[in-house]
Amino acid sequence: MVTRRIKVKAVGVIAALGILTACGTSPDGVPEGKGTTQLVVWMPASDSEAQEAAVDTMVNGFEKANPDVTVTVEERQTDPHKQALRQIVGTDSGPDIYWYWEGLGLGGELVDVGLSQDLTEYYDEYGWADRFTNPALAGVTQYGGYHGVPFGQQAMALYYNKDLFAQAGISAEPTTYDELIAANDKLVAAGITPIEFGGTVNWHIMRLLDSLLETECGAETNTALATGKASWAEEPCVDAAYTELATWGEKYLNDGYFGMSNSDSSQLFFSGDAAMAFEGTWFDAEVTDSGLDPENVGIFAFPTGSDRLSAFGEALYINAASEKKDVAAKFLDFVTSDDIQAETVGSSGAISVNKNVEPGTENPLNQLWSPIFGGASGVYGPSDQNLPLDLTTEYWRVQNSVLTGDIAPDKAGDAMQEFVDNQ
Amino acid sequence: MAPIQSLARTAPGAARGPRRRRFVRALPYLAPAALLYAYFLAYPMIDAVRLSFFEWSGFRTESPAFVGLENYVRILTKDPVFWTALTNSVIWVVLSLVVPMMISLLLALALNRRMIGRNLFRSVFYMPAVFASITVASIWRWIYNPTLGLLNETLRTVGLEDWAQQWLGNPDIALYSIFAASVWQGVGFGMILFLAGLQQVPPEQVDAARVDGAGGWQVFRHVSMPALKPTTVVVIILTMINSLKVFDLVVGMTGGGPAQSTQVLALWTYTQSFSNHNFGQGSAVATVLLVISLFLVVPYLMWSMRSDKE
Repeated sequence: MVTRRIKVKAVGVIAALGILTACGTSPDGVPEGKGTTQLVVWMPASDSEAQEAAVDTMVNGFEKANPDVTVTVEERQTDPHKQALRQIVGTDSGPDIYWYWEGLGLGGELVDVGLSQDLTEYYDEYGWADRFTNPALAGVTQYGGYHGVPFGQQAMALYYNKDLFAQAGISAEPTTYDELIAANDKLVAAGITPIEFGGTVNWHIMRLLDSLLETECGAETNTALATGKASWAEEPCVDAAYTELATWGEKYLNDGYFGMSNSDSSQLFFSGDAAMAFEGTWFDAEVTDSGLDPENVGIFAFPTGSDRLSAFGEALYINAASEKKDVAAKFLDFVTSDDIQAETVGSSGAISVNKNVEPGTENPLNQLWSPIFGGASGVYGPSDQNLPLDLTTEYWRVQNSVLTGDIAPDKAGDAMQEFVDNQ
Repeated sequence: MAPIQSLARTAPGAARGPRRRRFVRALPYLAPAALLYAYFLAYPMIDAVRLSFFEWSGFRTESPAFVGLENYVRILTKDPVFWTALTNSVIWVVLSLVVPMMISLLLALALNRRMIGRNLFRSVFYMPAVFASITVASIWRWIYNPTLGLLNETLRTVGLEDWAQQWLGNPDIALYSIFAASVWQGVGFGMILFLAGLQQVPPEQVDAARVDGAGGWQVFRHVSMPALKPTTVVVIILTMINSLKVFDLVVGMTGGGPAQSTQVLALWTYTQSFSNHNFGQGSAVATVLLVISLFLVVPYLMWSMRSDKE
């Protein structure tokens, strides 16, 4: 059975969706021969066959168990997905369920404007509070109440090429920031590019700056900066972090990184032209798809010294305007259940949000994440999920200006704080 | 009787009657287009100006709050990107009025003579104009790719590796790299307009000038150039309008980066509104863009129309 999946090409065709979804349907909008209740789910499009197959498994399994329900999945690229959701706030033209990132800057924004339904009653009814891992639950309870059910727990770390490390004389994974810098220097001395980044997408290099701030400022101050409780201009660690960023840009990043996208720069890692990549759990599948021997790849957390892991969560939310909340909750219960999670684990991340499900075994890289998650005392999220939208844009401008030399590292914190003060 | 007839023919009131009747007869044909224009063009434009005096996140659940001129004060005094975007837009307009126009004219002059392969060359030079801008952006992004791109590879192959650049990664040259792609895409359209204009040059005037001993430059300067004036006006106005609203090539090639160094007003309007959800400030930038467009285009159009009458 093939899931009814609609790939929407542009935000502007939302109105046309009504026509599209009406194709081959009965007058009440339900596909002929299918269930009488139609559930619409909006998700971002994926290039991964494994992820698409996992969604098919979930939808088909639910429809089989609930013959009166038809599930339609509508997919868009990442930015159109965000824009479509922002446009339907306050209207009745949205989906019943939507996939979205967690964090104050993204998921929290839609919670604030009332798009997300507080699911406390369903958590009580289905016992979901006992189903998910603590980090996963923390992501959906951060706004007060329960907004969404955890669907993905992604972490980011440094993937490295073992052969290139060996060529440079690096015998062990760096466990401190100083060891990481020493490894970078050894790689440079051996004529190897230490790490690849794609600068045309601002969020890729952002991961490095996020981790440098965590390294230089520690967990408490870094959190205070992200939440506006500390001044970017007055914390000396901010200057130190931007100084380190400038050093990385000057010495350790691939040539021409500013003119490359994230996917272009990944090719350097796959082809053995860069020793490291700062990527997330979803990268496991990309590494194996690229033909790179996964046995030749290792993963270690960016050694910030704070014991927190760079990570973020993804959730499935119920639209507060949906008239089918009970059916939607039933669907969420199904897709996060032990059986379905065990069947699909590893498709979009190394670990499941369901605490009863073991990591997938089909990709050896997935196994490497267990000790990384286990060794973390908490998480620090990416800035584009933590900061307000306009401050994120400024964060990227300052980060890139430091790398281009247009802003001196010791002036970067001032620029950030000036923007904050002007709000 | 004759004087009375003459008066009737020239009296303003008498002339107004037939004109009014013609207008009434034309109204049913004009109305649909006028209504569509009013609803889809005039209303959004006016509403964008109105929105520039409000603070609004763009969510229907949140009401816009009137803030007067605050959005304009913010973009002019506190927005770290606005002046970069404005400067880049002005640079883009000036370059567009010089580089692609000159190339278009030279190509048109070169391909306006009988020669082997003339139609093939015309087609080849025009072809980039039919590509979608986002396709052009993809093509040139690969050409500029710092490690695998055609441009740097070619430079290295011919021994000019020192000339290899981060064409889109260097903030000092990224805008001009995008502009080169714009020239590649745009010269074909200008060439076609100039070619059409050159068809209007009376051959007998050219022949007469030659008989009088005029050389190639003199024929161009005193015969072709004056005949090309209406075409040149159209090309200049279209170039100014199109270059002020440049958006898609920048989005497709750099997204306004690195470090907002290739940001332009149209893209900054979009970014403020749809990425930052500051619809008030986004509309203020759009209004500034509208005013600049009118300031540049309207006087030139009026001057040109007045010259035509004279």
